[in-house]
Amino acid sequence: MTRRINVPVTAALLACTLAVLVPLYVTVTMAFKTTTQSVDGNAFSLPAPFSLDGLAEAWRLTGFPRAFTVSLLVTLVSVVGTILLSSAASYAIARNWDRRLFRWSFFYLLGAMFLPFPVLALSQVRLTGLAGLDNPAGVAILHVMFQLSFSTLLYTAFLRSVPAELEESARLDGATTWQTFWRLVFPLLAPMSATVGIFAFLASWNDFMMPSLITADPALQTLPVVQKIFQSQFSSNYNVAFGSYLMAMAPAIVVYLFTQRWVMSGVTQGAVK
Amino acid sequence: MPARTPSPPKGLSRRSFLGAGLVGAGLALTGCGSLGRPAEVSFYQSKPEVIGYFDELLARFRDERPGVRVSHDVTSDLSAGFARGAPPDLGCSNYNFEIARFVDHGALSDLGDMPEAGRINPDLLPLVELTASYPGRTSVLPYSLMAAGVLYNRATFAEHGLEAPTTWSELVEVCDALTAAGVTPIYGTFAEPWTIGQGILDYTVGGLVDVTAFFEALQEQGADTGPGSPVSFEKDFREPVERMLTLVGYTNADAAGRGYGDGNLAFARGEAAMYLQGPWALTEIAKTSPDLDVGIFPLPMTDDPADRKVRVNVDLALWVPDVSPRQDGARELVSFLMRPEIIDAYNADNLGFGVTTDAPPVTHPALVELQEYYDGARFYLGPSQLVPESIPVHNYAQAIVTGADPGEVLRTLDADWARLARRS
Repeated sequence: MTRRINVPVTAALLACTLAVLVPLYVTVTMAFKTTTQSVDGNAFSLPAPFSLDGLAEAWRLTGFPRAFTVSLLVTLVSVVGTILLSSAASYAIARNWDRRLFRWSFFYLLGAMFLPFPVLALSQVRLTGLAGLDNPAGVAILHVMFQLSFSTLLYTAFLRSVPAELEESARLDGATTWQTFWRLVFPLLAPMSATVGIFAFLASWNDFMMPSLITADPALQTLPVVQKIFQSQFSSNYNVAFGSYLMAMAPAIVVYLFTQRWVMSGVTQGAVK
Repeated sequence: MPARTPSPPKGLSRRSFLGAGLVGAGLALTGCGSLGRPAEVSFYQSKPEVIGYFDELLARFRDERPGVRVSHDVTSDLSAGFARGAPPDLGCSNYNFEIARFVDHGALSDLGDMPEAGRINPDLLPLVELTASYPGRTSVLPYSLMAAGVLYNRATFAEHGLEAPTTWSELVEVCDALTAAGVTPIYGTFAEPWTIGQGILDYTVGGLVDVTAFFEALQEQGADTGPGSPVSFEKDFREPVERMLTLVGYTNADAAGRGYGDGNLAFARGEAAMYLQGPWALTEIAKTSPDLDVGIFPLPMTDDPADRKVRVNVDLALWVPDVSPRQDGARELVSFLMRPEIIDAYNADNLGFGVTTDAPPVTHPALVELQEYYDGARFYLGPSQLVPESIPVHNYAQAIVTGADPGEVLRTLDADWARLARRS
């Protein structure tokens, strides 16, 4: 049996792969260059001499450990909050679809998908300020809120594929609604929870605008906002900037490497059902 | 069938882990939240290159005045801060249209009663007023001024027996001589629109048009701007723009595909004799060629050497928001930063010109050539900086240098100006 290669598709995939790998390569090599080499107009050269100055300077300028911790906490709360809240909401909605209140609350949640943050920015800035939430806690709560609609959509679609008979058997054994959800449905939702969690992680970890507008105390800013200092019109410290980007990117890449199996399976499950 | 199945330990541990994590993170965030409003003077400063410099200054201030707590803020979003009613207590930022909005709306307090306000060079006041003003208030104190002209490679000029031109005809002669000698006269970086707006466009317009008078008349005229109005971009910018196109003819052939970084690199390597950038580019050029002998001359636009002027901009200005509850602390920090030894050291270290009457002349070997123009107030604000950001003047300039019909672009600029005036 001969292996047949689909040449056009392979070529297209190869081009797509390069589109990701080339910038990644530049980021990594640039981070280890000296300032002089970083501006020599040759982005693809290997670092010579190898220098850690860029990383050290980025570490110092961004106050990396603190910004990283804040980013991590905000992301953790938003991932866990999104998974718990939207799975519970979806369960309630999917199993009560015949009732108008639940159906409409689903449409209500979906409606939020069409309200991007910039539209609400001014009112959110004022409201969080009045409520004492102009800090990372407010950012995390808002992240959960903005993830809610899309995640509920995914969960609801997935829940329709979970046979109701399973729940009936749990009911026969005397489980309450809460127990049914917590012991039976939530574990069954695990693949979708992985997908939702990854989307929530990426949205929260990479978000710039919301923390930059909502968080009042600059000492509690997240990484992407702190990295704004590298975007200057008049000077280019590529090695420092890319060093900082590399440190910020690393967690997202590591998380993706370990979870991509679930991302892919979760996305297709949600899509077909 | 047992009535209750014991819950699987694995699920339990994962659940409690999640729960504990959520509660823990929530507590940590709320903990941060309660500390979220520091009872200290927050000092906002927007220039990334000098974050470290101001860090050291603040450390000095803390040593001198342990009673006043200050924090350094380089990331705040000013609009959000003002919207929330809690902007930084003291700002030190580029005096541009972002801060102009707050000046115009009276969101900044009057610093006119501070003795430091009396030390500001009176020649600068019209420039500050032109960008933004609020009646009866000194809303900002200039801190650092940048003067820009044509950067030129002294070695290349000497090699070809040339001197910095003092008139338009001399400039054209210099360009012709360099071209004949096989040297690129001017390095253009037209891929980045701002380099055109603040460079070749501002220099040609500023050298021929009385920028202050033009924009005052334009602001007065507002929505009536258009064909036939007393002043208009179409009429007043026509000649400068045509001369700009003459100069574009002397740039490198690949200028349309080159950006700021390429320009710094090429000029540092001696690939062109002249480069139309401000002093900020000197730091970048020095990254590649620390010993390059660079001079600066104002772009001569007329045939009278006395008409030469330099482009200036208020690079940093201090301001204190009206709503700040810590006015005293903020003002104390203003007085500290305005002390002659501190403000003069800052400007000397960061290629700025002093803005106070007691400031010493510049000492940087490239900038010394511009001192006489600054002293004689022979300067203008960059016209591209006086056009509100909602009008893409840099992109219009890019269109002109890459082949668009100048008359049409300038008419668009007039129409934009009139439309904006009608709306506001």
